[in-house]
Amino acid sequence: MSLIKIAAGICLASFSGWVIADTAVSDVTKLSPTSMYSQNPQSYMLALNEAAPMDSQANDATIEAAAKLSAQSAEFEPPFFSGSNAHKYMGLGTLILVAATAMTAPEEDEGPTVSTQSRTQGTHQSLGRLTAAMAAATVTSGLLTHWDDFHLEDGIADPDNLHVLLGTLGAIAMLNAVSKAPGNGHPGTGIAGGIAMGAAIKLTW
Amino acid sequence: MRVNIKSATLLAGMLLLNSPYVSAEENFAGWLFDFSRNKEVSPVTDKQYRTECGDCHFPYQPGLLPEKSWQKLLTEEALKDHFGDNAELGKDVLESVREYALANSADKSWHKRSRKIAGSTAGLEETPLRITEVRYIKRKHQELPEKMVKGNKGVKSLSFCDKCHTQAASGVYDQDTVLIPNFPDWND
Repeated sequence: MSLIKIAAGICLASFSGWVIADTAVSDVTKLSPTSMYSQNPQSYMLALNEAAPMDSQANDATIEAAAKLSAQSAEFEPPFFSGSNAHKYMGLGTLILVAATAMTAPEEDEGPTVSTQSRTQGTHQSLGRLTAAMAAATVTSGLLTHWDDFHLEDGIADPDNLHVLLGTLGAIAMLNAVSKAPGNGHPGTGIAGGIAMGAAIKLTW
Repeated sequence: MRVNIKSATLLAGMLLLNSPYVSAEENFAGWLFDFSRNKEVSPVTDKQYRTECGDCHFPYQPGLLPEKSWQKLLTEEALKDHFGDNAELGKDVLESVREYALANSADKSWHKRSRKIAGSTAGLEETPLRITEVRYIKRKHQELPEKMVKGNKGVKSLSFCDKCHTQAASGVYDQDTVLIPNFPDWND
């Protein structure tokens, strides 16, 4: 069973970094090129090539309006809850559950008492089922919120296509592991599912 | 539950590898062990690039175009007619800006959006010179009605990334960070 614990350790370690990292970006925003851009009339010179030319009076009015809108944009805060965020947290939740399920797997070689073994077995079984359900829900939420992000024409190497493929395979493997538990071979299938799900997340993280 | 020493050691090792100091470089190993978010486009970190390009327009991240596009765009000759304007730079400045753009172009980046851009421009006979010509970018914006972009006084053109992408300066182009001027409920 040490393999299961090693896999669980990897999942937990990976997850720890992902949670800490979140959506933090570097400090380049402090220099605020966006604000410089909106206040500088010259900034419109090049990008206006795609739009119809304007007279200088209209241009001034546009710049003034753009400056107001830029201020609104600076105040904008992304929504805390969105379909995309829900999918993200469900995926990370699945990884935690994979690790927890693996760590609660009963040790075969330690000879625990019957009561301890059945208690561990119960926890492991419940967590396994919860993991499979969460994995299925994650895949469903991904299909609903990111349906326009994957295209077959981009090929198998496309990160979004690989994400969908590995995530779906991972969820199927977990469901399969639950359905054949406690039979032999279910730990391997479950671990493979967890690794596939972890790889899917990493590809688009 | 008994703590397995092997697992604990492995966990500690992975946590150490998780350190940003280990993964500063943009290569496969760096990407693999870098758990910070790489979903977007690498932000502009070069002061000269930001200043020289940002003087006239939004300093587009090099990861928004493949290397072959920057090679065509950033030459003395090309900058004399940079989409209708003269954007000539001094020789040293041009060299530095070009070097930064080429080193951080979409096909050199491990950031997801850049990889998508690199993938959608690979193998094309024609080199895209505008970000808005890239298939991936086109597809992401194809459902936007004209009234929200060209017909919108607060936007005017897709070229003004930062008009709608509120965190464009940081390289973040996520849908959750979009606010289209004059269309606060654009996504409904």
